[in-house]
Amino acid sequence: MIELTRSTGRTVAIRTVSGSLCSFAALMLVPQAAQAQDAAVPRTAEQQAATWQEIARQPDFWQGTWQSISPIADDFSKTPDYTPAALEYIKRYKPAEDSPFTNCKPLGMPFVQNIGGMPMKFFQSPGMIAVYIESSGMTRFIHTDGRKHSEQPNPSYLGESIGHWEGDTLVVDTTGLAADTIFQMGTLPASQLRDGDHSPLASVIFGKHGPNLRLVERLRLIDFNTLELQLTIYDDTIFKQPYSPVPRRFLRGIEQRNEPQEWACTDNRDYFDEATGKLEINVKDKAQGR
Amino acid sequence: MTHHAQSRIGKWKLAVAAVATLWGPTAQAHHSFGKFDMARLVTVQGTVREWTWANPHTWLIVVVRRANGTTEQWSLVGSSPNMMSRWGWNAADIKPGDKLTIDIHPGRDGQTIGAMQTIFLANGKVLADPAGSTGQALAGGPSRLPTKPQGQPYK
Repeated sequence: MIELTRSTGRTVAIRTVSGSLCSFAALMLVPQAAQAQDAAVPRTAEQQAATWQEIARQPDFWQGTWQSISPIADDFSKTPDYTPAALEYIKRYKPAEDSPFTNCKPLGMPFVQNIGGMPMKFFQSPGMIAVYIESSGMTRFIHTDGRKHSEQPNPSYLGESIGHWEGDTLVVDTTGLAADTIFQMGTLPASQLRDGDHSPLASVIFGKHGPNLRLVERLRLIDFNTLELQLTIYDDTIFKQPYSPVPRRFLRGIEQRNEPQEWACTDNRDYFDEATGKLEINVKDKAQGR
Repeated sequence: MTHHAQSRIGKWKLAVAAVATLWGPTAQAHHSFGKFDMARLVTVQGTVREWTWANPHTWLIVVVRRANGTTEQWSLVGSSPNMMSRWGWNAADIKPGDKLTIDIHPGRDGQTIGAMQTIFLANGKVLADPAGSTGQALAGGPSRLPTKPQGQPYK
C-alpha cells in the first residue's frame, strides 16, 4: 500500500495531507488515550494497589503452566476461503520433510504455542501480561495498557501484541510478524500423505504469510484446568475471509514436572539440504552451530 | 481360560492401545520422523561413546559389536532434555563407557542411525523417550514402561 502511494507525486501529496489530518486527529485523541494508559499504568502506591485488586478479579491464567494438548498441527479441516494465489500454491505443494527446529531458529507466532510437552507460563504486572514459551525459550509481551499498535512495528518472531479483557476472555491482537516465521496455511487431505509417515507435521501445509498478517487470539478458561485459545488469522494474501482453525486447548500443570525450564537451542544436527530439498541429519561431525 | 492368560491378553490389548495412542493423529513431535522406519523396532546393545544432553535433541552415540566381530557406530536421536526430564530422565543417567540396551527405530536407508524409543540401563532403570506421545501423556509422564527390550535383536 505504501509502495503504491509513493508511485506518483499526486498520491504522495494526498498522503501528506491525509497524514497531517491524521496527526491532527491524533493530537485531539491524546488526552483520552493518555487517560486510558494512566489507568493501567499506576504511578502511585494507591493506584498500584487498586490495579492489583483489579488483576485479582481476572480469571486465573497465572497459577502453574499451560501446555498444548491439541495436536501440534492446527486443524484446518473446515476449508478456508483461499485466494487464487494460495490455491495455486497448495496445488503445487508437496509435504515437506521438515523440522521446525532446523537451524535452531525460533518458530514464531502462532505455531510456537502449538508444541506439547513444553509448557507456557503466564505472568502479569500492571499494564503487561508476559508469556514464557518454553519450546523456543522466548517470552511474549502483551501490552494491556490501552495502547494502539505502532504504525510500522519492526518485524519480530512473536510480533507486537496488545491485549484487553472482554469479560472473562483475554483478547490479544498481534501484528509485526517476521516474514520467516513458521506458518501453517492449511491441512493436506489424508489421501495425499505418504504411507507410513508418522510425523504429525506431515499433513501441514506450510507457506509464507503476507506482510500484513494479523492474529487475534481469544483466551478463556473452560474449566479450572483447561484454557481454550480461539485463533483468527487475518492475511488477505492467503484467506479471502479471516480464518479460525479449530480452537486449541491447553492443560494446566501444577506439579513440579510442569514447571517451566530454560530452552537454549545449541546442538542442532538437523539441517535442510537445499540441493535435495530434504531434511538431513549431520551425525558425522559435531553439531551445527546456531 | 486361566486368569494368567486373561491378564496376558489384557496386557497385549493395553500394548496395542499404547502404540495406537503413541502414533495416533494427536501425537506430538518437533523433529521429522522421515529418516526413521517408525514401523520397525530393533534392539541394539552397545557401549556409550558420547551422550549429549542439549536442545533441540539429545544424541547418544554408541559403539555396537556385531556377531561377526566387527564394530559399528550408531547415532541415536532422542527428544529434547526438557521433555525427557519430565519423563524421569537425568543427564547423569548415562556416561561414556556405559553398556546399554536400546530399543530404536532404525534409519530407513540402512545408515546406522536411529530414533531412541526405550533405554535399559545396566542398573535396571528403564527410560522411555517421550517423542510421539500425546499432549496429555507428555504432561502426565509415561504410563507404562516395558521391563525388557521389545525390538528385534540386532546381531
